[in-house]
Amino acid sequence: MITRVILLALLSLVLSGCATQPPRSELYDREELSVDPEVQFGLVVTELFQERLRQPSGNSLLQVAFAVEGRADTRFGWKVTWFNASGMEVPGVGKGYREARVLPGQHRYFKATAPHPSVDSFQLHLREMR
Amino acid sequence: MFRKAFLLILATVLVSGCATQTRYVDPAADDGPVSMSLDYRDFERAATEAVEDMLASGAVDNPDGGRYILVVSRITNDTMQRIDTDQLIKKIRVSLLRSGKVVTTTAVGLNGAEDEMSMRARELRDSEEFDQSGVQRKGTLQAPDLSLSGKLIQRNHKVGREQQVEYYIQLTVTELGTGLAFWEGETPIIKRGSDKSVSW
Repeated sequence: MITRVILLALLSLVLSGCATQPPRSELYDREELSVDPEVQFGLVVTELFQERLRQPSGNSLLQVAFAVEGRADTRFGWKVTWFNASGMEVPGVGKGYREARVLPGQHRYFKATAPHPSVDSFQLHLREMR
Repeated sequence: MFRKAFLLILATVLVSGCATQTRYVDPAADDGPVSMSLDYRDFERAATEAVEDMLASGAVDNPDGGRYILVVSRITNDTMQRIDTDQLIKKIRVSLLRSGKVVTTTAVGLNGAEDEMSMRARELRDSEEFDQSGVQRKGTLQAPDLSLSGKLIQRNHKVGREQQVEYYIQLTVTELGTGLAFWEGETPIIKRGSDKSVSW
């Protein structure tokens, strides 16, 4: 009886090993905000919001808004990269960084709208402009 | 003899060291100097702002579902530069097409069709030389719903010992059924630099 049970369990294990595994996509958590250390001396990101904008046809677009407060007169570049639910990049209009300047004590607000309704997540990158 | 050869090699090394090397520029990581004239970065910025604002406003989203059909109307270049306005308009068209909300017709235009082949292909109708099952039928071309027009403006000022050049990129999307401007946008691009540099 025990031998039979062992054989059955062994057979089940072998069969499950042979079964075709469903395709997996490795999803790595991306940070939504990435600020270069060089920029952190000149400004601080105080707010980062996201919302889905309802469209007349019923679908929606992701919109991202962020605010910075200047600690010094700083020129910086910012760029939002968009991703769909599978984590694949969705191309935006431009590839370059949008240049901006913030004065000491100044609060500035920026926003960006996703290029397609399939956009599910984003990454905002702030870097120093040379 | 040896001294001559040495001097020749030294001169070659110095001259080749001074030459500016040609290199590729990656638009995603370009920290190159800014010129007083409009360059690709300015068009990219204007197109990004225009498209994002159009999408966010919902003006190019068809409430009945499906895609709006856009026709490109007159884009006036009122700057001192010789600019092909397609540098700007193409970026907008590509992005709107990718958004899945707008498709551009190339069969209609102010100065004739952008792609005349839509009409030329119809001239094959009733030709005995062509298999008529593949020839375009009557009444299949789609009329536009929206029109994109605009203007590029330039103003030059002298500010102290510097020169300030102001560019304004103005765009309008008109709903052709009513003639109403559903969306309007303006991107100012202000540059300040040497009075000696030229902006044309």
